[in-house]
Amino acid sequence: MATVQVSEAEKVYILHGIRDDLRVDGRGCEDYRHMEIETDVVSNTDGSAKVTLGHTAVLVGIKADIGKPRPLVPNEGYLEFFVDCSANATPEFEGRGGEELGTELSNTLYKVFNNKHSVDLKSLCICPGEHCWVLYVDVLLLQCDGNLYDAISIAIKAALFNTKIPRVRISTDEEGGKEIELSDDPYDCMRLNVENVPCIVTLCKVGHRHVVDATLQEKACSVASLIISVTHKGTVTCTRKVGGGSLDSESIFEMTEAGKRVGKALHAPLMNVLQQEEHLGKKKQKVGFLG
Amino acid sequence: MLKSKTFVKKTRSGGVMKIVREHYLRDDIWCGSEACTECKQESTVLQTDACMESSLCSYPHYLIPDTNVVLHQIDVLEDAVIRNVIILQTVLQEVRHRSAPVYKRLKDIIHEKEKHFYTFTNEHHRETFIEREPGESANDRNDRAIRVAAKWYSQHLKTSESDTDGLKVVLLTNDQGNKQKAEESGLLYLFTCILVEEYIKSLTANPELVDRLALSNDDKNEITSSKVLFPEHLPLSRIQAGIKSGSFVQGTFRASRDNYLEATVFIQGEGEDGTEILIQGLQNLNRAVHQDVVAVQLLPRNQWVAPSSVVLQDEGAAKDDNVEEEEEEKPVLLISAAEAARKATGKVVGIIKRNWRPFCGMLNVSQIKESTRHLFTPADRRIPRIRIETRQASTLAGQRIMVSIDGWPKDSRYPNGHFVRSLGGAGEKDTEQEVLLLEHDVPHQAFSQAVLNFLPKMPWAITPEDMVRREDLRHLTVCSVDPPGCTDIDDALHCRELENGNLEVGVHIADVSHFIRPGNALDKEAANRGTTVYLCGKRIDMVPELLSSNLCSLRSNVERLAFSCIWEMNHEAEILKTRFTKSVINSKASLTYAEAQMRIDDTNKNDDITKSLRGLNKLAKILKRQRIEKGALTLSSLEVRFHMDSETHDPIDLQTKELMETNSMVEEFMLLANISVAQKIYDEFQECALLRKHPAPPPSNYDILLKAAKSKDVAIYTDTAKALADSLDVAKVDGFPYFNTLLRILATRCMMQAVYFCSGMDNDFHHYGLASPIYTHFTSPIRRYADIIVHRLLAVAIGADSTYPDLMDKHKQSALCNNLNYRHKMAQYAQRASVAFHTQLFFKSRGILNEEGFVLFVRKNAIIVLIPKFGLEGTVFFDSKDKVAPSIVFDEEGPTLTIQQHTFRIFDKVKVTISLDASNIQHQKIRMALTDPVIPGVSVPVPDAEPQAKKPKLDR
Repeated sequence: MATVQVSEAEKVYILHGIRDDLRVDGRGCEDYRHMEIETDVVSNTDGSAKVTLGHTAVLVGIKADIGKPRPLVPNEGYLEFFVDCSANATPEFEGRGGEELGTELSNTLYKVFNNKHSVDLKSLCICPGEHCWVLYVDVLLLQCDGNLYDAISIAIKAALFNTKIPRVRISTDEEGGKEIELSDDPYDCMRLNVENVPCIVTLCKVGHRHVVDATLQEKACSVASLIISVTHKGTVTCTRKVGGGSLDSESIFEMTEAGKRVGKALHAPLMNVLQQEEHLGKKKQKVGFLG
Repeated sequence: MLKSKTFVKKTRSGGVMKIVREHYLRDDIWCGSEACTECKQESTVLQTDACMESSLCSYPHYLIPDTNVVLHQIDVLEDAVIRNVIILQTVLQEVRHRSAPVYKRLKDIIHEKEKHFYTFTNEHHRETFIEREPGESANDRNDRAIRVAAKWYSQHLKTSESDTDGLKVVLLTNDQGNKQKAEESGLLYLFTCILVEEYIKSLTANPELVDRLALSNDDKNEITSSKVLFPEHLPLSRIQAGIKSGSFVQGTFRASRDNYLEATVFIQGEGEDGTEILIQGLQNLNRAVHQDVVAVQLLPRNQWVAPSSVVLQDEGAAKDDNVEEEEEEKPVLLISAAEAARKATGKVVGIIKRNWRPFCGMLNVSQIKESTRHLFTPADRRIPRIRIETRQASTLAGQRIMVSIDGWPKDSRYPNGHFVRSLGGAGEKDTEQEVLLLEHDVPHQAFSQAVLNFLPKMPWAITPEDMVRREDLRHLTVCSVDPPGCTDIDDALHCRELENGNLEVGVHIADVSHFIRPGNALDKEAANRGTTVYLCGKRIDMVPELLSSNLCSLRSNVERLAFSCIWEMNHEAEILKTRFTKSVINSKASLTYAEAQMRIDDTNKNDDITKSLRGLNKLAKILKRQRIEKGALTLSSLEVRFHMDSETHDPIDLQTKELMETNSMVEEFMLLANISVAQKIYDEFQECALLRKHPAPPPSNYDILLKAAKSKDVAIYTDTAKALADSLDVAKVDGFPYFNTLLRILATRCMMQAVYFCSGMDNDFHHYGLASPIYTHFTSPIRRYADIIVHRLLAVAIGADSTYPDLMDKHKQSALCNNLNYRHKMAQYAQRASVAFHTQLFFKSRGILNEEGFVLFVRKNAIIVLIPKFGLEGTVFFDSKDKVAPSIVFDEEGPTLTIQQHTFRIFDKVKVTISLDASNIQHQKIRMALTDPVIPGVSVPVPDAEPQAKKPKLDR
């Protein structure tokens, strides 16, 4: 992970500020930075979204492809994650520098999203045991300014919302051979239900308190953080502790509660924004990467 | 402005791919109209006074046809009357997608300046581009795009024009729905939308165009009875699934020439070989037409049948349409064949690809006077009769016409078609020649401007750049020897003594590949034509005349570029050195075979040319002897030559070609050059050398030859080419000098076709007839495309020219070979047909002749007689429909045919009377009747030389 050098005096300053619920950039402890979301940014994917959170920027593209279902769950499709830590984000990622982080991130994403409670995997099934849709979720880190998990999860949710899977039909000939037929209408496509898709809230323990959406400087002051994935109902689907320091059970409880609260509050406006954008249809003003 | 086009595609591996294409819109696409003042176009295509006399549109107008109009009515659009047409890009793309031949024809029209066809790239125009909307099918979108473009045009023309009642656009469609939509969206105040049928009918000045309208779907039910005659064709998706699962097989439909109820489907197997499936009966044939690609289902084994040997011609059609069905099925073949003769039999379940082309033939005028529906009989017997609608039946009767098939509904006995054009009166020489070329698929149109653009500019001279990689051989005494009247001289020879006592022999071939560069229009045209076709009195060139008869032709006393193959030989004709080089030569004389022969024989002449010829002749004799010792075959076929009247181009006399020593002299060196080059290019390019092979015939081919020889107590051995050649040499019968020639003619018939192939795709290179392990064609690049490729390969091999990717691609090379083989075969057929036609003309003028001939084959009910004087073969039938068949006994072993005590054997000498049978004007033929030996009831009395008025039994 990208790190910044923070001097002792700065640390003290940050710590004291957080203690008084006033962070360096003026936010409260449970406030997010300014967030921008745009969907349908990469035309040759089936669904895509770009999210900027402060200076953190991630791009998520989803490609749907036909694959074979896993033998244990023949009537479900599945998701595949790949996180590409581009050297654009920070020079440390150059060469194979970002690989470790990428693996770590994608492992977490598997845990959070690739289960039937998050995404309706059954709707991805085309023909039980034979064909199913595989959603390849490619995450590209464009810029790192802390709180990657949250930004990625929001982008994934937005991209899943945006995903249009071409509708296919299975035709059977008299010999029982099955043939996949593709509709020739590009508008004839299937949408995913993203209602239950969770968002990740990362809480950083700084001093005695914890903050959400930590900047890199704040992160440097923290010894441990808790990653919580929360659905729109406030259900916690996954937690994970990262960082070298330890957390006592009381603060874990406190942080989980805060995470639930923040997560729940995050979902409603997110869905709102996505639906608004969808509604605009072709009239939408494209911003893209130059805006 | 940037838009993107998105569509989803299924990949071959079963995946699904989303494809996004960038699509740029622009505002500098001009309308192409002369009347327009707004557009900043440099040149205009569409005229201001776009007048077509239509009773529906009295004002000047431009036509915008939609896709279906172009697809179905291309024959109408091709007519000179239809001008000032806007072809939208949408239409062009759709046409290209749906029918390649129509697309090509459309492109040709667009290139024609007088037609004033303008392509408007509406898909890239800022104001006419539309995106597909949700719920809209691709077809609907295209229709809408066409309407939007039409709207734009009418608005555009209105604003840009000064006077008000000026130009309008007319949208032509053949879809009521499209017209309705145009009406609904209130576009009609802007432009007119007319059904194409109505529009064509409204062209008062040109009523004949109506005939050329293709029948659309709506018209079909009107014509046919409601009775369903044929099983439904399966949809393509089911056919594909069936082929995948193996329940159907895919093959090319080949109708039988002799029996309209029978056909075979040729299934392409692994490599060269394939299997055939027999199809019998109208129901099973199921509307397939010769050369269609069809899906066939095999019948259960107990329903398999043997091919019938009956000749059946579809004559039910002579009656009127409605009464025809009754006796149709009568001849369905109930012959219970011997088990062994049965073949795999199947039925056609669907058509994968129609291969309809315009067919030549003649009209059978309907007996009902006012009827506009007539049947058309194609010249090719394998094509069914076609029902067409025309009002000009009386003018078209007796003419050769072309007709296209539009469709074959399942409740119609015959396919429906429409008249395309008239070729001229039947029996006229030009018409028949045209028919002959069309039916043999010989490309014979004049060369297009695009092709001519690649010709060198005249006056042409050799430049210093040309000389860079060339050897200057202008000082050599080179001469050419060709048949009289030859203008495309592609080979020249020289021979001289070297200082070391050896002989230097050079074969110089016109350097056509210098002028025809790979990949350009000229090259593509030549590759497509494949060969020059020589008909009697006419030559259909492969390359434009400037090249064939001038720049490439190695005429005397001019400097010409050549590709030379030069050997150093000793006096025993052993090759000591071979080299190839591009060169410049200056031929000192172009001689005919006879002239060359005279020079050689004239002992008084001792000039350089004559010496050179003598040297060549001497070597050629040695070479020929060596070749024959190796087992090369000398076969024989009678070639005839017509003496043409210089004024009328009618044949006035005919004689068989004579062969002189000089013929074989030239041939010998050409063979040598071909073999040397073949070896060289194969050594250099193992994978992609273009070679020619002549496979050894299977032993069963020789059966007839062996039987024939045996009947004269002559032994023929066919184990090897050498054995065959030797035994043919000694085969002689006392008192029958012509026997040997006859035997050689028979042997020729046993041979296989020689073919071009690519060395990387085959491993059998042997040339059986020439007894050469490797062979190619190098010596006639002016008239054969294969030679051009060989020239290019050789040029690369010696570093005289650069290569290009297609030359080294064995698959492309192989595809080219297939085309060349096809063209050569067709050219041969066309040549034979031309000779046959001229023979007919000749006999027409001569009336009835009595000649002597030999029995060449014995058939079940006939003998085939060869008349050496004319090189003419004819069949003498012993059974005919109206006569009681005399007692005929056919013995297959002999083969002999005994008719009332007289037995015919192969090689028997007979006398026949020859006349022209013009009873069927489409298929005139030479009729022969026996006069000697006299067999009562079979032979005819010797007629006087005066032509006897034959009763033609007209079939209409």
